[in-house]
Amino acid sequence: MLHFTLRNLRAYAPRFLATALAVIVGIGFMAAGLMLTGAMKSALLGSVDRQYAAVDAAVLSFIEFEGLSPGVAPEALEIIERTPGVAAAAGELTAPVRVLGDDGESRTSRTVGRAWIEDPGLSPLEIIDGTAPGDGVVLDRRTAADLGVEIGESLTLATPIGRVTRPLVGLSEFDGADSIDDGGTVSFAPADALAVLATEARGWDAVLVRGEPDSPDLLSRLAGELDSAYRVITGETLRDERQAVTAGVVDVLRPVLNGFAWVALFVAGFVIANTFAIVVAQRRRELALVRAIGGTPGQVQRALLAEGLAVGVVASALGIVTGALVSTGVVVAVDRLGYRLPGAGLSVTPLLVIGCLLAGTIVTTLAVLAPAIRAGRTRPVEAMREGAVDRSGTSSVRAVIGGILLGLGIMVLLGVQVLDWPVWMLGPGALSLFGGVVVGGPLLARGFARLMQPVAQRAGLTARLAVDNTVRNPRRTATTANALVIGLFLVTVVTTSGEAFKTWATDQLDALSASDFIVASSGAPIADDVTSAIDEVPGVRRTAPVRTTLVVGNTAGEVPVSGADVEALRETTGLEVVAGSLDDVIAGSAAAVVDFSTLTLGGIGDSEGSANSGDPGAGSPFGEGAGVGDNVELVLPDGTVRTLPVAATLRARIDSLTLGVLVSTATLEDLVGPQPVNLVYVRTDADAADSVGVELDRIVRDFTGIEVVPGNVFGQIVGQVLDFLIAAVNALLGVSIIVALVGIVNTTTLSIHERRSELGVVRALGTTRGQVGRMVVGESVLVAVLGTALGVGCGVFVGWVLIGTLGDGAVPFTLNAVRVGSIIAAGVLVGVIASIFPARRAVRIDVLDAIRAV
Amino acid sequence: MSADGSAVAWAAQVLGATKIYGSGEAAVRALDGVTVGFERGRFTAIMGPSGSGKSTLVQCAACLDRLTAGQVIIGDVDATGLDEKRLTRLRRDRIGFIFQQFNLLPTLTARENIAFPSDLAGRRPDQAWFDHVVDAVGLRDRLDHRPSELSGGQQQRVAVARALVERPDVIVADEPTGNLDSVSSNEILDFLSRATTEFGQSVVMVTHDPVAAARADRVVFLADGRIVDDVVAPTREQLLARMGTLAR
Ligand SMILES: Nc1ncnc2c1ncn2[C@@H]1O[C@H](COP(=O)(O)OP(=O)(O)OP(=O)(O)O)[C@@H](O)[C@H]1O
Ligand SMILES: [Mg+2]
Repeated sequence: MLHFTLRNLRAYAPRFLATALAVIVGIGFMAAGLMLTGAMKSALLGSVDRQYAAVDAAVLSFIEFEGLSPGVAPEALEIIERTPGVAAAAGELTAPVRVLGDDGESRTSRTVGRAWIEDPGLSPLEIIDGTAPGDGVVLDRRTAADLGVEIGESLTLATPIGRVTRPLVGLSEFDGADSIDDGGTVSFAPADALAVLATEARGWDAVLVRGEPDSPDLLSRLAGELDSAYRVITGETLRDERQAVTAGVVDVLRPVLNGFAWVALFVAGFVIANTFAIVVAQRRRELALVRAIGGTPGQVQRALLAEGLAVGVVASALGIVTGALVSTGVVVAVDRLGYRLPGAGLSVTPLLVIGCLLAGTIVTTLAVLAPAIRAGRTRPVEAMREGAVDRSGTSSVRAVIGGILLGLGIMVLLGVQVLDWPVWMLGPGALSLFGGVVVGGPLLARGFARLMQPVAQRAGLTARLAVDNTVRNPRRTATTANALVIGLFLVTVVTTSGEAFKTWATDQLDALSASDFIVASSGAPIADDVTSAIDEVPGVRRTAPVRTTLVVGNTAGEVPVSGADVEALRETTGLEVVAGSLDDVIAGSAAAVVDFSTLTLGGIGDSEGSANSGDPGAGSPFGEGAGVGDNVELVLPDGTVRTLPVAATLRARIDSLTLGVLVSTATLEDLVGPQPVNLVYVRTDADAADSVGVELDRIVRDFTGIEVVPGNVFGQIVGQVLDFLIAAVNALLGVSIIVALVGIVNTTTLSIHERRSELGVVRALGTTRGQVGRMVVGESVLVAVLGTALGVGCGVFVGWVLIGTLGDGAVPFTLNAVRVGSIIAAGVLVGVIASIFPARRAVRIDVLDAIRAV
Repeated sequence: MSADGSAVAWAAQVLGATKIYGSGEAAVRALDGVTVGFERGRFTAIMGPSGSGKSTLVQCAACLDRLTAGQVIIGDVDATGLDEKRLTRLRRDRIGFIFQQFNLLPTLTARENIAFPSDLAGRRPDQAWFDHVVDAVGLRDRLDHRPSELSGGQQQRVAVARALVERPDVIVADEPTGNLDSVSSNEILDFLSRATTEFGQSVVMVTHDPVAAARADRVVFLADGRIVDDVVAPTREQLLARMGTLAR
């Protein structure tokens, strides 16, 4: 039987190619994702290992909170250097830096400024030309080449302290590669780095230590020398921690890409099942002959399964090759756009190849299972009979099961929406709905055609023939349409519920902020001249500089404590007092805290709010006892505990949330000494917002790490993030829709092939080429319309239920007609595109040939 | 029924066979209580007007289709109650087929087509017998051609060879010469009658052609699903006359 299978594979290769295409697209996508992320991950992990290869121990600050950290003081580095057993120690410090052109515009993005590490053992970078930084700076070789600058030239840099000018004194490389940082590296001499990249308030990010050989107690000795504010870890731990951070992105990205690949493969499964079923149907007489001569159903099934298996293996292999080509293309394209992907190569591991081969083969084999089993039941007498209409797929059992699933799905989903059934039932409900569409598909297809028939009647003969052809084989029509249903269903759910959520969330967020602009720094402080420059911008009514720092709380970890001119803050941000009064805060004798129970994002926060309403302080990070009249206890850097009475609680708003414990500027200085400004709220005169925005952007241009954001930025950010997510998910789902398109092309082409002689007769009787072409386009579009109607219909329904489950119906469901309209248009377009190839084939059929072939 | 009156060895028997296609209004009674036996080592022809049930009879006798009522016995095996798997094996090992057209698998060569039943059974064909059959039908130099590269007559010869190579209890042919010219037609009939005389095979053949039927040892006449006549050692004139009365 094996050579029977092999012969068939060869003879029917062109038809199997169509089947294979679906697998190739799906596996290609999966392989490309794995190859790219694999290369990125190993590059990121490897570069961390190489960067910290010689580090035996590292010292970090204990306090680290959302990127805020006081760092390691320069004096601590001196102590570490003097500690016995330490061969070398160096401070690590990084901050964003941009190289500016003569016009003041940035010529680089994502460039990182680093403190040069003088110990050659510890330093990950090597000088390949010129000298180490000293009075100037060193650029990595690629950035220097990209910018076209040479040693001796003067560079203008935007840094956290503003614009600085340094001569370029050398070029560096990183262990044979260009740079540690994807966007390029600017190295400063250590002292220079402390001045430019950090400030007196912030020391080194970390101190890296190389130990003398044979100094096993290095860690304990370092810990003994340093005070308890520092964390001493091994080089191993440092590498692990840094790897966790850098590789985290990839670890998130990978399963997401994989998930979409599986959706595409799932869709491919439908396409394969269908194409295979058609190829098998076309060979019905042949299979019947095998049965007549004495082939058992099992033998026929095994022969077909072997064919499917072979197609699966070959197509998966081709898919992997396609994936490699696609990811090479992506790397090249991204490089052209001026970005460098870490790793910038492909990682093709045996595991990846085997995994993709298995995935593709299993999907293909599973998909051909049903058609193969059905083919095994071919009755031997069929070898002697002419083909008849295939009425399969419209049995009453199918109608009953499909109807039950469909009804159950709708009922469960409505129950969740209307009767507040538990949210987890959403999944089973949607599955049941989908199952109903799949099982009942052929009947839906027939019903759909009935619906279209009167319309077609009026539209003329070709339209009528097109409709008739879709009912000829309802199962085939339904399975083809189902491939499209899956993709469009998911796109519609994501789009409609995403849109509704976005509209609601941005509205909520916009209502939460009152300031017109926020000038915010990420870590580095905002210099005084920047603050005063902002004050002088015409159109600015009031500014409120805020100094926030982390202080150890007596009962609960670190807490942010903010010092500000409370009056100014009130005027710029519309600070709202829930209880108590701000007078004592302004006077400097008390603090204000945020009442988290007032944090209500529509319905979402409500449940928590009501649970805590009796105890305003319970939701705050200070635990109980932070209502008006209670005390906030803070452990000061010198170890003494200071107690501040809480005089007011503030309504939780975007602006107030980041404040933590609010005190007057003087009180803050009294508590922890002078602190730099890291946030400025700006209130503008009416109509002056645009001009102020432009002016503010100009002021901060030379300062990296300082950003000007509009007051409604959170709404904007959330809106943009959601827009991006919706677009990204839809783009990824696009792969599934391409697979479905392949499916429609296959089905239509094969059925044209099947009806060759019939089309010949139709042409001989006087139908024009144009009419035949239009008929084929009509068929394909009808299938697409069926798939689109089902997919978008179910999608809107499930999206509506999904949104209803958020915040107990607090989020209104808004249907964006334009978006839904474009999804429908896309679905129909798929039908038109899919018909191009088969229609050309149908039109080119030679009349005489076709009739003779009967 | 045999000439010398001794106990007859049946290659295949059909007893009280009734076949009804469809149901209700559209029901067609294609066979109506047919009982007939086909002797071993004989060449039996079946004749009758179009639609009389000839194809139905041989399809059921060859276990390609199931009877609505009645019994089919192949050699000494009662095929009536067999499940699909046993029935398939019975066909594979004990019955050979030749159809009017579409006899061969288009993707396989002539040699592979002839060996296909053995292949299905998972055994090698008896090489000496294979060669003998191939030579008998004169296909030696055509064995590596695909069906599409063979003439209609050659295709039918491949089908005859395939039927013979398994040495079945009975070979069933439904209008095997229907699509052939008289020369090719004669060749095929020669092979079939030699199969009975030289190889001791049993052949049952449906035909419309009195010339073809005259080559048979016996002719059974069918009309409206019933057996209406049974002629041993017929002559062409006899058959023509009989066909004439049935057609009226
Ligand atoms: N699959 C079927 N479904 C319904 N009716 C059938 C089927 N096959 C045959 N018939 C009917 O059964 C009767 C006998 O058909 P059969 O094919 O056996 O006739 P035949 O004698 O072989 O005719 P011919 O000489 O034209 O080949 C006919 O009336 C035919 O219409
Ligand atoms: Mg017939």
